Amino acid sequence: MVDYRLKLAKRMLFNKKGSLIGAVLAVTIGILVIHVNFVIFQGLYDAFIRDLTEYSYGDILVTDESNLIEKSDTILINWFSRIPDVQAAAPRFSSSGEINITKSGGMIETNRIPLLGVDPIQDIQASTAHKTVSEGSYVFSQNSIVLGSSIVRDLGGVRVGDSIEVGVVNRWGQDEVRRFIVSGIATAPGGQGLDFSAVVHIDTLRDMLDRKGYTSSIMVKLHDPTKAESVRDLFLASFPNDDFVAETIEESAEQQLAGFRSGIAMINMIGYFGMMSSAFAIVTIQMMLVNGKTKEIGIMRSIGARRKDILVIFIMQGILIGFIGAAAGTGAGLTYTLYAKETKLSFNNSIPLEVTFDWAKISQTALTSFGLAVLASLYPSFRATRLLPVEAMRYV
Amino acid sequence: MSKVLDIRGLTKIYGKEKANQVTALSDVSFSINQGEFALVVGSSGSGKSTLLNMIGLLDKPTHGTIYVDGTDTSKLNDGQISSFRNRKVGFVFQFSNLLSDLTVLENVMLPIQMAGTPKSREKATELLGAVGLRDQMKQRADRISGGQAQRAAIARGLANQPALVLADEPTGNLDSVTSKSVVKLMKSMCSTLGQTFMVVTHDQEDFGDVDRIIQMKDGKAYETSMVRGVRA
Repeated sequence: MVDYRLKLAKRMLFNKKGSLIGAVLAVTIGILVIHVNFVIFQGLYDAFIRDLTEYSYGDILVTDESNLIEKSDTILINWFSRIPDVQAAAPRFSSSGEINITKSGGMIETNRIPLLGVDPIQDIQASTAHKTVSEGSYVFSQNSIVLGSSIVRDLGGVRVGDSIEVGVVNRWGQDEVRRFIVSGIATAPGGQGLDFSAVVHIDTLRDMLDRKGYTSSIMVKLHDPTKAESVRDLFLASFPNDDFVAETIEESAEQQLAGFRSGIAMINMIGYFGMMSSAFAIVTIQMMLVNGKTKEIGIMRSIGARRKDILVIFIMQGILIGFIGAAAGTGAGLTYTLYAKETKLSFNNSIPLEVTFDWAKISQTALTSFGLAVLASLYPSFRATRLLPVEAMRYV
Repeated sequence: MSKVLDIRGLTKIYGKEKANQVTALSDVSFSINQGEFALVVGSSGSGKSTLLNMIGLLDKPTHGTIYVDGTDTSKLNDGQISSFRNRKVGFVFQFSNLLSDLTVLENVMLPIQMAGTPKSREKATELLGAVGLRDQMKQRADRISGGQAQRAAIARGLANQPALVLADEPTGNLDSVTSKSVVKLMKSMCSTLGQTFMVVTHDQEDFGDVDRIIQMKDGKAYETSMVRGVRA
């Protein structure tokens, strides 16, 4: 049989639909704000990491102190290929070059651009950078070049198949110019991919710079990114005499991510302040409920209800409000998260958010909200117990 | 015959500063025996309701003692007072004061459930049958007539078979026909169940013959015992 206090709490609350809806909405909105914040800001953060991992750093990035690895990339790639957790590894060579910027067919200036040398076969296994090529194809030969969409714009509208000259300064300080055929144009949402770079074959770049056998970095992709630290440690332990620097994505992109993280923390804090505002709303609504039930409290006290019983009745109302609000808020939040995930939500064609269902966070939000609602009901409940029967009966 | 209520030297003074003090009850003493139907009568402001509040343990006296069913109520703490009100005292108010969120049956079950007594539904149903409300017991309390509500309030007052039922102007809000039926019901409960009633009223005539009349005037009580219509 249902405890009479629970029955009374339910009836008193459900018969005041306006107050019930108000209090539940306060909790629901508090939770929804947290969910929306999480979807957007954590989604943006995760998308940022995803793109950095996919296009630039991999799950582990191996470099050395000088960003010039002398050890043969074949040895290193072969070593990684023997590790079960490794999906693929690819060498990259980073440098900068000059490219002529033209307008209306005439050269107007020379601009410096980042140059990235890749091994086309290995790179498409370790990175999805090739998928950002929206026109044409990825680097496939020693004289093909993929231009980022931003460079294409600066060049005044180069097309696939056009011939362009790229110049570099080699290790001896001499200018080295090569002609390339534009094989593709890369565009990534939010410009996180190769939009501001030019991609060439790694051997061509090495040749231009006279750095045969050198590699700037090895990009390693894992089957399970959570194993990054163990693979990194294993790698460093296996090459103790080399000056390798091996970093996980969080380490290699630390500077880019640190600001982001503090931004997320601040937004979350605002969300939790919102939740606390909801708690104050519940205090106000429950105080109204208590004031509206002064007569009933007096009647209950006169027929034998103890202060404790009155306290329990109103705390149960807080529990009911918290439970319904937490369920409704979590339901609304999950619906929004599902919508964002299914529609690959992005803002103004920027990075598509990396939407995940973080069940620990979802539970934590629901429980915190529920707890705050119960906590918020304590003061009104306590006030209800302080009503003297004879005073309450004056309202009769 | 055992005393259900025994009041000695009961005084209630409101206000802390002497200049503002109001004496609502002054040295009131009287007693009521088991199974009696007693009336407390007097004009407005005579102290009737204050007296009822003291006896019902809804308020505390300034001086004096109240024994209900042999218990010195001044010695009870807050929790014990609630329990005592629940088990030993039944209330019937002028406006019935049923909880509008509950059904008639649930209202009558409430004091029984508060007492932790099992079979509250059966007991409440039986009581509602006794007051003629078996057909209305599933109705919400705010959807029945004033007379029915007052009958339900009487059933609730009797729910835990209290030592004493206190009724504050129980017919004050009813028409004359309904008043008579409510008075008849209380008297029948008194005679058939041996239930002690103490009724505050300003309209003594409604109640006809009773066992005892306590006349209140300016906070003082003047007691008249009767033996069913014969002044003692």
